[in-house]
Amino acid sequence: MEKLKDAFDFSDFSRSERIGFIIFTIFLFIFPWLGVSSFAKTVMIQFMLFSLFGMGWNTIGGYGGQVELGKAQYVGIGAYTVALMMVWWKVPFWISMPIGVLIALGYSFIIGYPLFRLKGHYFAIATICTSLVLKDIFDNWALVGAAKGIELPIHDHPDFLYMQFKSDTYYYYFIMALFYIAIFYMNWFRKSKLGYQLRMIKDDEDAAESLGIDIRWCKIKAYSIASAFVAVGGGFMAVYNLYIDPASVMELSLSIKIALMAMLGGAASMWGPIIGAAFLVPLDRFLGSWLGGHKGLTGIDYMIYAMLIMIVSAYQPRGIWGIIEDLRKRGK
Amino acid sequence: MRKTRFIIFFVFILFISLMFTHGNVYAQQNEIKIGVLYPLSGALATIGRDLQRAAELTADMINNKSPGVDLPMASWGGIPNLGGAKIKLIFVDHRGEPDRGADLAKRLILDDKVVGLMGAYNSAVTKTVSAVAERYGVPMINDSSTSPDLTERGFKWFWRTTPHDNFFNKDLFELLKGLTEGKVKGVKAIPKAQLKNLAYACENTEWGSGVAKSLEAYAKEYGFNITKGILYNANSPDLTSEAKALMSVNPDAMLFASYLSDSLLMIRTLKSMKAKTKILWGQNAGFEMADFAKTLGADINGVLTRTVFIDKITRVKKVAGQINALYKQKYGDDLTGATARSVVGVQTWAYVLNKAGSTDPKAIQKACNELHIPAKELVMPWAGIKFDSKGQNILGRGLIGQYQLKSDGKISLEIVYPFELATANFIYPFPGWK
Repeated sequence: MEKLKDAFDFSDFSRSERIGFIIFTIFLFIFPWLGVSSFAKTVMIQFMLFSLFGMGWNTIGGYGGQVELGKAQYVGIGAYTVALMMVWWKVPFWISMPIGVLIALGYSFIIGYPLFRLKGHYFAIATICTSLVLKDIFDNWALVGAAKGIELPIHDHPDFLYMQFKSDTYYYYFIMALFYIAIFYMNWFRKSKLGYQLRMIKDDEDAAESLGIDIRWCKIKAYSIASAFVAVGGGFMAVYNLYIDPASVMELSLSIKIALMAMLGGAASMWGPIIGAAFLVPLDRFLGSWLGGHKGLTGIDYMIYAMLIMIVSAYQPRGIWGIIEDLRKRGK
Repeated sequence: MRKTRFIIFFVFILFISLMFTHGNVYAQQNEIKIGVLYPLSGALATIGRDLQRAAELTADMINNKSPGVDLPMASWGGIPNLGGAKIKLIFVDHRGEPDRGADLAKRLILDDKVVGLMGAYNSAVTKTVSAVAERYGVPMINDSSTSPDLTERGFKWFWRTTPHDNFFNKDLFELLKGLTEGKVKGVKAIPKAQLKNLAYACENTEWGSGVAKSLEAYAKEYGFNITKGILYNANSPDLTSEAKALMSVNPDAMLFASYLSDSLLMIRTLKSMKAKTKILWGQNAGFEMADFAKTLGADINGVLTRTVFIDKITRVKKVAGQINALYKQKYGDDLTGATARSVVGVQTWAYVLNKAGSTDPKAIQKACNELHIPAKELVMPWAGIKFDSKGQNILGRGLIGQYQLKSDGKISLEIVYPFELATANFIYPFPGWK
């Protein structure tokens, strides 16, 4: 009960943050009915998906302070479990998705155990490597479709069992539910024992150890939580796109994107990953959609995208959330 | 504090206003909108740009009459059975990402309200895009994706004009067989033992891995050995280890399925290692792009590429010559297999719309299933366009071309297969690099 209370208790945030959160929630809820274009809906779905990824990454990357650049492998595990179980045995999404999360958890323990013998840059490189190795295996493994990927059969009508809908509005509310579960979970997590231990580890590992914190175990736990988060998102990607291949769910660029969004928004803060995704996803999608097809402007969207990332990170290494906090302090 | 609020408020309003913009603000009446998805930025930007140009040129030809072209559609000035309505192509850039392609397809269908879709070049993107089209019951004519699986899915709203990779890989083995039987122009029969060992390197997504699978199958069927097979990442900045692996087995023929940047890198790497082989063949894509020959010049003397169009066709096909001349005049390059397919894609859309006489999806579906475009009205050396029950054009066929260094120092792509269309003597063995 105590945990549940913690999850829904936002009283330690400032009043403006709480009001902002409520307005944002109402906005998200009525968004599909505002007469927006359907492309905007797909952008919002991507935004919530990447927020989910970012919040997961934030446990180990933000609060734990470990540079983790291999999250794509867990997106892949989640996506492949859902897709394969659906294609092979017609298992409904609601069963295959939790199984995917369990596999991701198990795999992350196996990987995490040796991985957390490493620190700093070595750890970052190792996470990239494990992810790339898994992608290479999937690229060549004929049983799981190798590089050709897996195509999910299309079902005719709105199908809640297999999560297949013609209209994106269904997907919108489904990912929104996941998004809010993640927010409440993170709200609990940052106040949990593990949350405090991780921040302690981030500040000073030796001091944390001297206080009796099992550093490696804490890191592994956080790493597994992060993996479970992204595996949920991976499962969603499989039913949303109806086609997955290693290049789209396990690519290094996806790992980087996940970490980039969380870092740009502000790592180790509650709203950072959400702000990062809210900034980068629409920017990327809208710029690409508008400028991409125009002759002479092709590629400009990439430049603007890259430039804004550079400006933000040069101006405030703590990300957009850092900028907002700065402005606030100055305003006071 | 006020300033903070102002900035946050401003960003929020900006964000909201983005959401309400629809792509069809400037839409005019009496236009038929076709959504075209190509990779216009990223690693495939060059190919995407060429495809876009060819599609635009064709739409222009249909909309504004082109007196110099001997095709019925060049004198239409719009779609006759739709009251002279003009075709408007809406291009979007999917960057080779399947999920982005799917989202853009939804934008085209629901926001821009297109009548149908065309594209998407990358087979992996075509998969997600066609799945969206199928869900919404919107017709999609695929001009340029060659993964055989695409027409094996039982879709009702998907048609493909280009032959797929199984056609092309078979052509390669027919050529190899022809070499052993002395059918190839300018080469005496070569004992099969000298050509038996093959090695391939294919890019590792949907398309390349499909080619690899099909090569293995045909090698078995035609009695050749695959001694080494590699799948590699097309975005990789270095292909040294892949090149070494190929050379380690000393193959009689090296076979590739590569996009542009990786094909350039592969040839350069092989050159720097002074690789030796008798046949060097590429499965179009990178190998047939205008930039491939422009960039590598004399280094590709003797390299083979499968394709569906070679500018030499223009000598035997008048229409091809006329359209090629228009394209060359406007953009400075000859049509290639990829760009010529884009021409055929738009052309097929025009014929289908005219036959349907309506923009109703059901009417278009019926028109597609009953369509027949005769050979003489195509730029391609095909027997025509006619779709089977799976949506695959059964009258298409491939060509194999060889880059040959001419006495004026220029590289020219000559037809070597089918044998009856050969325009030059085959260079055998591959001369290699010094």
